[in-house]
Amino acid sequence: MVVGAVVGPLVILTLCSPPAHPLIAEVFYDAVGDDTGHEFVELFNPAATPFPLAGARLEAGDGAGAGRWSLRWTGAARDTIAAGGRFVVGGASVVPPPNVVVTLDLQNGPDAVRMVWQDGATEVVGYGPNPLAEYFCGAPATDAPSGQSLARVPDDSDLGSNAQDFRAATPSPGAANLPGRDAALIGGTLTLVPEQPAPAAAATRAAAVVNRGAEPLAEREVELLVADVGETGDLPLASALVAVPMAPGDTARVQVALPGLAAGKRLLRARARLAGDAAPANDADSLRVRVGLGPLEVTEIQFHPTHGEGEWVEVRNRSGAPLALEGFSLADRHGPPGVPSGGAGALRPESLAVLAQDRLALLVAFPALDRSRVWEVRPWGSLNNGNDSTGVADVVTLRETDGTPCDRVPYGAAGVPAGVPLERRASGDWGPASDPLGSPLAPPRALPPLAARFAVRPRRLAAAGPRVASVGWDLPWPRGRVAVDLYDLAGRRVAAVLAESTVPGRGERSWSAAELAPGLYLLALTARAEDGAETTRLIQPLRIEGSAP
Amino acid sequence: MSAAVLRVVRVLARALAWIGLLAAPAAAQDFAAPAPAWPPAPALALLERGLPPPAASSCLAGTVTRWDGVAALVTRGAALGIGRRALRAALGVSQTGEPDVGWTALGLAVGAATAGAGGALRAVARRDRTTAFGFDARGAAVGLEVGGGAWVEATGGVHVWASAPQLWTRGEAPPLSRPLEIGGAVDFGGAALWLGRAGVVGHPRGSRGEYAIGLAAAAGPMVVWLVARDQPPRGGVGLSAATHAVRVAAEVEGHPVLGETARMSLGLGGGR
Repeated sequence: MVVGAVVGPLVILTLCSPPAHPLIAEVFYDAVGDDTGHEFVELFNPAATPFPLAGARLEAGDGAGAGRWSLRWTGAARDTIAAGGRFVVGGASVVPPPNVVVTLDLQNGPDAVRMVWQDGATEVVGYGPNPLAEYFCGAPATDAPSGQSLARVPDDSDLGSNAQDFRAATPSPGAANLPGRDAALIGGTLTLVPEQPAPAAAATRAAAVVNRGAEPLAEREVELLVADVGETGDLPLASALVAVPMAPGDTARVQVALPGLAAGKRLLRARARLAGDAAPANDADSLRVRVGLGPLEVTEIQFHPTHGEGEWVEVRNRSGAPLALEGFSLADRHGPPGVPSGGAGALRPESLAVLAQDRLALLVAFPALDRSRVWEVRPWGSLNNGNDSTGVADVVTLRETDGTPCDRVPYGAAGVPAGVPLERRASGDWGPASDPLGSPLAPPRALPPLAARFAVRPRRLAAAGPRVASVGWDLPWPRGRVAVDLYDLAGRRVAAVLAESTVPGRGERSWSAAELAPGLYLLALTARAEDGAETTRLIQPLRIEGSAP
Repeated sequence: MSAAVLRVVRVLARALAWIGLLAAPAAAQDFAAPAPAWPPAPALALLERGLPPPAASSCLAGTVTRWDGVAALVTRGAALGIGRRALRAALGVSQTGEPDVGWTALGLAVGAATAGAGGALRAVARRDRTTAFGFDARGAAVGLEVGGGAWVEATGGVHVWASAPQLWTRGEAPPLSRPLEIGGAVDFGGAALWLGRAGVVGHPRGSRGEYAIGLAAAAGPMVVWLVARDQPPRGGVGLSAATHAVRVAAEVEGHPVLGETARMSLGLGGGR
């Protein structure tokens, strides 16, 4: 196995690959899901002359015990690796098709593969920790995660240890593991801002590009192309050049200004273009986007329930056609998407439905709800109650099952009274619900107009009865910060009726005065515009009847 | 500081401390008058606080108070005060607020006063307003409160007083609970300084009570006074002018949250 040595003045280096032989360049043994047909072993011939493979053997080693090697493939007379070329032995599902189709059935480690050359020289590549020295050279490579291969990087690396020569990488059968020139899109970095642009409105596509090659790339050498993928092919939309030089391993974020797009679902493909790119397979990525409004919109969010009903989100069908809610998913900012179940039938146009964390609990709390329109979502992404440093508590996201965005609502929890849901009003603004318990399956309660900016109804509370007053306001701003305090006739503060919170311009709150002694009180509403520029203070009397003690 | 002054201060301090210990959970409403805490305003203070005026005179007084700038909460009152020798008596009527929150009050007070001390009993009956006119509210809730007050000149120019206007209540509860109020005033000849304390019912810090301090200065027919209160901190300023036949007064008190409370009164008779 150890076939050569380089003797230097200070260092003695033992090689793992026999000289004048091809190298094992890549091993893919653990595909996502079923491995069958996806496994491959790639050989690389760095020499300037072709290398015939007739009689060469590929063996798999079972690291569970000593001497457990089994033959997987033997080279035929027609099998040759071209000078500087690659030869892939792999399953039928490998793309591009391998040179030889073989079911390798490799173990997922700690195991090994071994090439036994015609002259008896061998090369072992071991992966995963294994105490048996026959299953690795130097030290075994770190086990690659599912979906990634073990790749020799650079392609001719031979540092005397599998652990140093191999690392996990995106599978690249038949292509260089570390090509000379390779600009790649980093998966999952594609974004569109805004995520759901309005029809014909400008948007920005962004992606991260990495120099996966061995050579540095000059500025403006890499170009990001964005196309709209249609039934008839890609329609180029816009492009942008990477304005900075990129050393090997460097990444750069590229933004492409897109022209206005037509409304609807779209698949936007981005591709990094580089002249002489040796690995075009990693150049492209795509993102499903929606231009304009989706068929389903979020209309109410209960993120901090206080009556045991669990969290819930109300949605409205605005598509104009019946919608099957099973075809949508709901997620919070970081959690996995959950799929609705438990309701019945398609949602009629303009109808409301509730997506609940706990369907039964919600129906217990709101027994009058139409059960067919109450759906339970699993898994439920627990909605946050507190804002982060950006002022956002969480993001409620609706998507179609193919991942196309449908609606996205970032909300803030600051100033929302405990237990009060957030609701979308006819103006499109969000704010604490008019009804403190929320209005699942019902539109926001329309409040009657007030004769004054601040009103208390009734102003006289009878001794017998619930002693509940409605405190209403109609501010000169769409939203504001409001606090209501109670004072006695002598001007002494007695109670806080409504702690300072952000409220819509028109709102009401019920307030119980059951704990108050009979007498005459003054309710003082202090309101200020959200920008703090204006403040107003309004006062109303409240008489509470009752006998003297 | 002379021994006499020191003695006065000690007596005053002792008296205030003694009264303060007794302080139970008491402010002004139906017959509130724009006036310094001392001396008691003729007729109105007798009805409101049970404190008879030292001087024996008769008067007719009218008062208007707009509470905290609230248009729906205005008190209009009228009182007749009688003083003959040591006898002091007053009868008054007032109406407060709009019909759905307001009430009508009838007050009666009888007492006695000399140059060195005085005391009185006062009673107020209230009936809730349910219509614009206050006396035809059949079936409306009625409440009655009885209390009193007294003052004494501890030494030359030093007066202390105590007022408990709601010692006994029946029926509908009064709009504002008014526990014991105590106070003292020092007359410096042309100027007076007073300090008062009133208990607070149901207040989280009720045991602390509410404190008020005031300073009044007289110049001929004019009296100007300043007053400051805590819980919450607030202040007021008042001005009165009097002849032998007519006395007019006005006071404005500010509040950090609520609006200003403005009081005005007009008196006929009662001396200067």
